[in-house]
Amino acid sequence: MTTHDQIRQIEVDAGPRRFARGWHCLGLARDLTDGKPHQINAFGQKLVVFAGEDGTINVLDAYCRHMGGDLSQGIVKGNEIACPFHDWRWGGDGRCKQIPYARRVPLRARTASWPTLVQDGMLFVWNDPQGNPPPADVTIPRIPQVDDDRWTDWIWYETVIEGANCREIVDNVVDMAHFFYIHYSFPTYFKNVFEGTAAYQYMDGAGRDDVRPATPSRNNPTVLGTTSVAAYHGPSFMIDEVTYHYEDLDVDTILINCHYPIDENSFVLQYGIIVEKKDGISDADAELMAAKTGKFIKYGFEQDVAIWKSKARIDNPLLCEEDGPVYQLRRWYQQFYVDVEDVTPEMTDRFEFEIDTTRPNEAWRAEVEQNLAARRG
Amino acid sequence: MSTPRTDVRLDVRLEAAPMQPVGCGTCGATVLARKSSWDQTTLQWTAAALATCAERRTTTAGSERPNRNAFTGCSALTAAIRAAAVAGQLDVQSDEPLPTNPEAHP
Repeated sequence: MTTHDQIRQIEVDAGPRRFARGWHCLGLARDLTDGKPHQINAFGQKLVVFAGEDGTINVLDAYCRHMGGDLSQGIVKGNEIACPFHDWRWGGDGRCKQIPYARRVPLRARTASWPTLVQDGMLFVWNDPQGNPPPADVTIPRIPQVDDDRWTDWIWYETVIEGANCREIVDNVVDMAHFFYIHYSFPTYFKNVFEGTAAYQYMDGAGRDDVRPATPSRNNPTVLGTTSVAAYHGPSFMIDEVTYHYEDLDVDTILINCHYPIDENSFVLQYGIIVEKKDGISDADAELMAAKTGKFIKYGFEQDVAIWKSKARIDNPLLCEEDGPVYQLRRWYQQFYVDVEDVTPEMTDRFEFEIDTTRPNEAWRAEVEQNLAARRG
Repeated sequence: MSTPRTDVRLDVRLEAAPMQPVGCGTCGATVLARKSSWDQTTLQWTAAALATCAERRTTTAGSERPNRNAFTGCSALTAAIRAAAVAGQLDVQSDEPLPTNPEAHP
């Protein structure tokens, strides 16, 4: 017998050399419609996002097909982006519309343009390595609450994650235990459902006495628990409906957790929050709550990032029965990285996994008690 | 050094205890299920089983909330899986006895 037989080795498969097929949110439309070009590094490329006089948001490859100028450093003129190098004008359809110093535009003066969707205040682009247009049935669900006066406006954050493939953040959707250890939550119910291009997470959480404010106040009330229905709609865009239960009321929030890959080893993480303005809560208090929730989520992601920065990529995770369906999630996720004709039923067939939280909850109750005892000194 | 794998791997937990077929008494759909304990369930549907499921077909999408129109699960199938486990037709990996008095296990 050798020690080699006894030690479990971490296995790392070839990382994906392509970027996921699907709708990716690039940010809020309001931040991208200021008449200026915006540089977005995504899908291993440099893109330029600009809105012309007609208000339409366009996404093009940033490098001018003339002499390679960077269109994201150019100027929006009319409905076109003008290259800073020689003023060649490119339309949102990817065609060169005009060269001010030339009699005519040469043949094949066309650059890559990306299908876009503006919905509920957000800009999405369709990425498909095969170059197919977005199928009609591959959509992002509407969030009518965004246009509802009874809800706050988006609070939006963006952060660049270096040194990690975006699969790390997608793994979180099944990782119940990390919500206790990394995010100061206390999951009491946890179920995943994958079907088609959606991956759901149903989670109920209890409040944690050991992370509550020592003295709750009107502006800092005690959260008794949370009810959350979160879902990835496609490879990168998650909507999370979270209800916070307080002693005298429930507050509904809708969170967005989305990302787009910069390259194989970095991605841009974005998250947004809207909060329902309940009767008896002033607009200012609702905005304050949205801001506070945002800060809490920001802190949570920073905790994730600290882990991602030093962890290993692992394709053969060793799981206990109280862990979620990591392998089946990755099987679902794989559908976005193969050609559409190679998507197999096992990647998209409905799959359900409910965790037994009995043993985790016993252990966590004990740990919370220990933390409280330590706090009391 | 072997060539890196690109296939989809099998859940390590299924190596020792694979999924087992369970039929639903209500609609006749057959799915694959696994229980590591009385309160844990893994459930693999096929397109055919999903098309057969009566509860699935009668689920209506009427919510204004983006995530609330999804089918959360079939109660008849949940009952069938539990019944199969109680009857010993579906293995329960944990050796804990069936909790017969829920009040004793809050």
